[in-house]
Amino acid sequence: MTFSMKRVNAIFQKDLKDILRNSAVSLTASMPLIIAFVMGKMSDDIAVDGHYMVINIAMVTVGSFIQCCLIAEEKEKNTLRGLMLSPASTLEILGGKSLLSLIAMMIIVLIGAFLTGYHPEQIVVIAIAILFTSFFFIGLGTLLGLLAKSVMEASVIIMPFMIVFGFGSMATMFADKYPILKVMDYTPNTQLAAIAVKVESGIGLGGVWLNFGIIALWIIGVFVLTSIVFKRKRMD
Amino acid sequence: MENIIEVQSLEKVFANETALEDVSFHVKKGEIFGFLGPSGSGKTTTIKILTGQLNQTGGKATVFGEPVSGMKKGESRKKIGVLTDNSGLYSRLSIYDNLKLYCVLYEVPEQRIADVLALVNLTEEKKKVVSKLSKGMLQRVILARTLLHEPELLFLDEPTSALDPVNSQHIHSGLRELKARGTTIFLTTHDMNEAELLCDRVAFLNKGQIRLMDEPGKLRKQYSDSTMTVELKNNEKVVLTSTAEDAGKMFDFMSSNQVVAIHSNEPTLGDIFVEVTGRKLS
Ligand SMILES: Nc1ncnc2c1ncn2[C@@H]1O[C@H](COP(=O)(O)OP(=O)(O)O)[C@@H](O)[C@H]1O
Ligand SMILES: [Mg+2]
Repeated sequence: MTFSMKRVNAIFQKDLKDILRNSAVSLTASMPLIIAFVMGKMSDDIAVDGHYMVINIAMVTVGSFIQCCLIAEEKEKNTLRGLMLSPASTLEILGGKSLLSLIAMMIIVLIGAFLTGYHPEQIVVIAIAILFTSFFFIGLGTLLGLLAKSVMEASVIIMPFMIVFGFGSMATMFADKYPILKVMDYTPNTQLAAIAVKVESGIGLGGVWLNFGIIALWIIGVFVLTSIVFKRKRMD
Repeated sequence: MENIIEVQSLEKVFANETALEDVSFHVKKGEIFGFLGPSGSGKTTTIKILTGQLNQTGGKATVFGEPVSGMKKGESRKKIGVLTDNSGLYSRLSIYDNLKLYCVLYEVPEQRIADVLALVNLTEEKKKVVSKLSKGMLQRVILARTLLHEPELLFLDEPTSALDPVNSQHIHSGLRELKARGTTIFLTTHDMNEAELLCDRVAFLNKGQIRLMDEPGKLRKQYSDSTMTVELKNNEKVVLTSTAEDAGKMFDFMSSNQVVAIHSNEPTLGDIFVEVTGRKLS
């Protein structure tokens, strides 16, 4: 397995040029910002959960949804085949395909947090937590994009995942009535919010390692699935 | 001469049907090898196996002396170029930007872009956005991309099937130039004229089996019935065989100045295909 940053960068540059001419993507990316803007206007004192609602929506729309559509478009237009037949390795192709979504997601999360007025206690821990959780969302988008045959199909397949991993934390409110919803406590987004709440109450990195661990399990799971699916697709 | 591709008793069985059955052939260095057959005969499946996109279920296949499972390595990929009906381009990017990406992927200098665009006659159009191109231009851009890294071996899966005659001719002349430079080409087509024009050797594929394989000229001679048709001034057409009696007739036609034209009745590859397989192409 080779890894050349040149190849990753070339795919990134290509995607960047491409995305700037793709109005559907910019429209989707602006949606979390509109929500953040409205929330920021409505209230001066937003609770941690409120900030994370925006951060979560930003992560799932940019990290998962856009990533999923970008990958699915490569399949639909038969361009992924060309990348797979080139000397580029799996890691280079998927790395290149993820870099743009990752950077875009970070930018949208930052602007969103600015608009809702989120000032975390321990910025470093929070930054690490968000970056770490990003890998899950990007991985999820990549996986679903590889499974879909077209952008249209991708945008349908991803919907239930967007609800669970983007808006799922709201469901925990009804967990008393429907115990099944307890599983939502263990999704990466809920764990990320849990880290944020702990950090806000003064707990440091040492007190949140279990939450990190749970997120790590999700990341490993989604990465393993993605590489299996990619290898399959490589062989048609 | 050195064999670039060697295939021995290749077999591919999909879940519910056999796509290739006991297929054996070899491709020599520097030749254009035509793989001819109607739709569904197994041409694309063969290319996919030879380029490491599909595993065979039986038999042996080597490319550059290595088993095809080795085609997944980067170094092997640099030696081959693959053009199939599912090769795509980035529609929102220019021709140039599409090619630039592949320069990096294959580690060739960006100057190569000018060379390949000249070869497919698209130098003027390089700034054009791909979504604005005609079908013929698209196919030429894909061919240009396939040639960027100067592959020693080229797999072309029906490269002209969607093109009009003018665009097909562009591609044909490009392929002849590549052959002149020593590139080995594995070409699938259901266009028999294309095969006659370009191929050094052809194999007829039908329902996953090779029915016949040779040089087009030899096949035509082998399947010729050694007759000729003489067109006379009175619009009559007379078929003559190589007998003393017909030679006498020919002498009479010629000495009385009645002959307009003489055609040897060599069959076309298409005729031979129908004779061998009982099936029409396309
Ligand atoms: N992935 C696949 N799964 C099942 N059957 C397939 C698959 N790919 C091709 N086939 C079958 O194999 C046969 C040969 O197909 P193909 O190689 O595409 O033919 P050609 O390229 O000559 O038109 C066809 O009958 C086709 O239906
Ligand atoms: Mg085919």
